[in-house]
Amino acid sequence: MNPAGKRSWSGLYLFVVFAILYAPILYLVVYSFNSGGTMHGYEGFTLEWYGEVFSDVRLLIIVLNTLVIALFSSAISTVLGVIGALAIYRVRRQQSRNALLSLNNVLIVSPDVVIGASFLILFTMIGLQLGFISVLVAHIAFSVPIVVLMVLPKLQEMNPSLLDAARDLGASGWGVLTKVVLPVIRPGIFAGFFMALTYSLDDFAVTFFVTGNGFSTLSVEIYSRARQGVSLSINALSTLLFLVTIALVIGYYLISLRNSRPAEGGQNR
Amino acid sequence: MKDDAIIRFDQVTMRYGPEDVVLDKVSFELQPGKFYTLLGPSGCGKTTILRLIAGFADPTEGTVYIGDVPMNGVPANKRRVNTVFQDYALFPHLNVFENVAFGLRIKKLKKDVIQAKVSEALRFVNLVGYENRKISEMSGGQRQRVAIARAIVNEPDVLLLDEPLSALDLKLRTEMQVELRELQRRLGITFVFVTHDQEEALAMSDEIYVLNKGRIQQSGTPIDIYDEPINRFVADFIGESNILEGKMIRDYRVEFGGSEFDCVDGGFLPNELVEIVIRPEDLEVVSPEEGKLKVRVESQLFRGVHYEIVGRDRSGNRWLVHSTRSVKVGDEIGLRFGPEAIHVMRFGETEEDFDRRLEAFAEVNHAK
Repeated sequence: MNPAGKRSWSGLYLFVVFAILYAPILYLVVYSFNSGGTMHGYEGFTLEWYGEVFSDVRLLIIVLNTLVIALFSSAISTVLGVIGALAIYRVRRQQSRNALLSLNNVLIVSPDVVIGASFLILFTMIGLQLGFISVLVAHIAFSVPIVVLMVLPKLQEMNPSLLDAARDLGASGWGVLTKVVLPVIRPGIFAGFFMALTYSLDDFAVTFFVTGNGFSTLSVEIYSRARQGVSLSINALSTLLFLVTIALVIGYYLISLRNSRPAEGGQNR
Repeated sequence: MKDDAIIRFDQVTMRYGPEDVVLDKVSFELQPGKFYTLLGPSGCGKTTILRLIAGFADPTEGTVYIGDVPMNGVPANKRRVNTVFQDYALFPHLNVFENVAFGLRIKKLKKDVIQAKVSEALRFVNLVGYENRKISEMSGGQRQRVAIARAIVNEPDVLLLDEPLSALDLKLRTEMQVELRELQRRLGITFVFVTHDQEEALAMSDEIYVLNKGRIQQSGTPIDIYDEPINRFVADFIGESNILEGKMIRDYRVEFGGSEFDCVDGGFLPNELVEIVIRPEDLEVVSPEEGKLKVRVESQLFRGVHYEIVGRDRSGNRWLVHSTRSVKVGDEIGLRFGPEAIHVMRFGETEEDFDRRLEAFAEVNHAK
């Protein structure tokens, strides 16, 4: 087979894969404009469901809750994650460092159900009322390891003689941190923040466990509404959520694009 | 002279483990305003000495003094020395101006003072007009200059340079050697330059410290070290040389390669076994009859400035000769050299013994 043919087959394969991956979302988006009121037959274009979403005060409050939780938890976990990454970076022994990093990664790969259930047990044990605080704490907990994972490579890429140079020029420990280390690893910090934000926004399992009466986030709300019966306002809501996620991904892409330009000084020979 | 030393090492030992001795009871003094070079192969401890002066490490035993003040436990940011790093260690997130201004901003100087000092430092290293460039936009040689400007703008008593030229190509390196030497004269501060490149050391230094295995082998002016190497290591490391075993018949008379020769060294025991050094450029190629030694040519390489000829004498010693005359491989040639071309080394002699012998010998001669 000629190379051009090969290319078209692999292109086709790629197309099919992406079509299958995006088909359900597209389906959902298309029916969010269906005036028929069901997911069975498309009858005509309407923005009725979007109107319904925006007139639903309870839903808007939940959106607000979700955003507040996401922003707070990602901000706090960014601070904690950076401190954690710095601490792991300082560990001299390779073995201990790897062990700490593995412990960190276990938290990322372990099932959300396990994390959610264990938090539920913890919160009921210490008598914390389920609601805003419990969700916030849980979100911070699963976001910190993500931030660590994004920041640590930036620290390891950093030329260690930058630290010596800063001290040599008179910087104290705090000065080295604020004037050199944090600016140099800033791309990692931003990436970590954005990742934490997206994880928090779309988390369902953990939130489902630790949320209580009168407090809900979007994903939990969509789940409970979808169980109650089909309403296309859910489609509209999901479409909006999908758009926000896309926006975040684009934002993340732009940031990483800006940082992929050569940033390291002194390595060219 | 002892009191005005700007840096003094007193029996400094550096160990990373019980077996891992990096510096072994090293003592020396550096005078202000001179260009010093620490020269040695990798792992000889030269960079460790630099790190001890800069304050990135503390000695296991012994004391490092800057001025008269013992520096043990004093962190790097409290020492009036600055470093130019091997990889320059420029801050990638700051432009050229801010890199140079880094130390001044930490000292919280006024804005106009910083502006003036940074401009002056950049003028010193010929980088006027590059203030707003990013580090990633600078070439290797330019980064080198930024690193130097960043260090000298703080007006240190001592400037430490850790193999700063090793990343540059040959032509740029030679240029920077001249510039660094010039810079040191203009600034009048002490430079401590670390390198493994003996040519660099010979070209730039007021004084060279040759190091090996954590000990100072020899120190002195480039000419002293080149002409009077104290042992085989120094003779071998500095320049190229023919090192042969020989025997000191008596003062001014040495035997090697199967013959006896006049020389200018003395102060040995009669018939003491020694090593002799003859530099390849001190050997003159002549006809076999005229030569003091006859050598069979084994190979010849054209090096541009000279031919590099390798031959073997009748006792099997290998001879390296630098000559502007070309010879034929396989031919027998004669080698001619004056008595002053022969340098005799005693086995296992320390630097102090060496100096003492020369002094005693000079006195004896003087008395005559």
